Amino acid sequence: MADYVANPLRVFWSSAVLAKRALFAWLSPAMWLMQLFTMSLFSIAFFVYVATYVNNPEVSVAFVAVGNALQSVAYVSIFAVCNITGEEKEQGTLQALLVSPANRLSIFVGRAMFQIVNGLATVVIAFFYAAFLFGVDFSSANLLTLAAVVLMTTFAMTGFGLMLSSLGMYLRTSMVIANIFLFIGLLFNGVNFPVSYLPAFLQPISYAMPMTYGTEAARAAVSGASVMDVTGLLAIEALIGVVAILLGYAMLRFFEHLARSKGTMERLY
Amino acid sequence: MARLRAIWTAFRHQALHFFADPQWLIPNIIAPFVMTLVALMLFRSTSGNVVLYAILGGGMMGMWGNTLYASGFSIQSERWWGTMESILAVPTPLIWIIAGRAIWNSIIGILNGLFILVIAVTVFQTPLNLYDLPLFLMAFILTLISLACLGLVFSSAFVLTRSASVLTNGLEFPIYVGTGTMFPIALLPFWTHPLAFTLGPTWGIDAIRYAALSDYSWGLAPGYWGDLAIMGLLSVCYLVIAVWLFKQVDYRARRDANLGRY
Repeated sequence: MADYVANPLRVFWSSAVLAKRALFAWLSPAMWLMQLFTMSLFSIAFFVYVATYVNNPEVSVAFVAVGNALQSVAYVSIFAVCNITGEEKEQGTLQALLVSPANRLSIFVGRAMFQIVNGLATVVIAFFYAAFLFGVDFSSANLLTLAAVVLMTTFAMTGFGLMLSSLGMYLRTSMVIANIFLFIGLLFNGVNFPVSYLPAFLQPISYAMPMTYGTEAARAAVSGASVMDVTGLLAIEALIGVVAILLGYAMLRFFEHLARSKGTMERLY
Repeated sequence: MARLRAIWTAFRHQALHFFADPQWLIPNIIAPFVMTLVALMLFRSTSGNVVLYAILGGGMMGMWGNTLYASGFSIQSERWWGTMESILAVPTPLIWIIAGRAIWNSIIGILNGLFILVIAVTVFQTPLNLYDLPLFLMAFILTLISLACLGLVFSSAFVLTRSASVLTNGLEFPIYVGTGTMFPIALLPFWTHPLAFTLGPTWGIDAIRYAALSDYSWGLAPGYWGDLAIMGLLSVCYLVIAVWLFKQVDYRARRDANLGRY
């Protein structure tokens, strides 16, 4: 029985399935679809029109539309994933979860699995908008490379979101860091303008975030680059994603230990 | 008198909530703040009034972000805490309670708008040379009141849905786009213009720009006073809709008895 309960793969799958069920327990499918189809549309539109108005020769509509299409994954992978732990706190289920003998890594990673699917769907729709509503030319795009970039970026950003989610366990609410990291990506990740526009002392922040490599690789893919051409960028992105997951897991265990030793499971902040 | 007391108590209650957990200011303003910075980075090769155009848009977004989040989450929080039924069951109509909260949120909205203006001016060192300060302040305050009226409409609608937080997040960008906070709405497809014109903030930001920019060439045809008149008319419409909606919500909630489960 104990082996069955602690089986990491079973816990991983249960965690993934329960996370999906929990989402649709409070969010109607119609509302989810509305979110899926409108969120990226208006964020791309906003920056595309700003770019059109500014008419900066270095920042074309295609530059902004492709960047924001990929960045739309952050609404899911940063915002939704980051709030997972915060929601557990809010709903009073964190204690029940942490007293169980279930494998923590399986719980930790499993809960984000549905959001990877959700994130992939969001980005695909966003690229559809970039092509058909905002006139980005995909005629010379390498779709295989673009698919690899989208997949890797979704994975890495979800890892980043999981790391922030662990931090949310310590804070009173994860909503604050979710919002901060969701939006500062627009500034730091080369989504709307080249990273070189930022002051030199801020650029290291850009290169510590996986999306920076993703946007660069996505633009290369739209220009026709092969998978081999962007291997370096994807490798760095994958590395950051893995490091974020491991760091997030370590933080989760640390905060769990802190909460147990102080008896402040839902009051840490 | 009883209504005024209800408004005052709701105002005080909302203020106490804010001071108990002021970090909620961050989610309200982070998006407009970052987007203003992004626009300023894009505008970096230009100067003067074009930059001021973006900063004013950022201030407007800050006010709208606050209105939307405050109206959405104040209702959603009542649902989470299980206090929604109690609030609806008291003799005071819900609209006066929400109105008290909206007034507090408007005050915080002013702070949001000013915060973005101050940061943009100090960090990007853009001189805030306002063409006509009294007219600017008048347009600023009236736009804020219009936003509060629009917030009342959303608040009433949010009572009937469990998805208020999703709608709150989803409505943020459409209003930024639709009202032309950072670009002239002439750039939007023509078929969207009627939608943009039904939003008070569209006229409000235009009036603010007429008052602030000496050579504002993208302005809407009615001009400063015309903008304010149309915005005032729309605000009255929002109030009428909000009062009607609150009555409908009250009736439906009592009839269906499933307020907490919407």
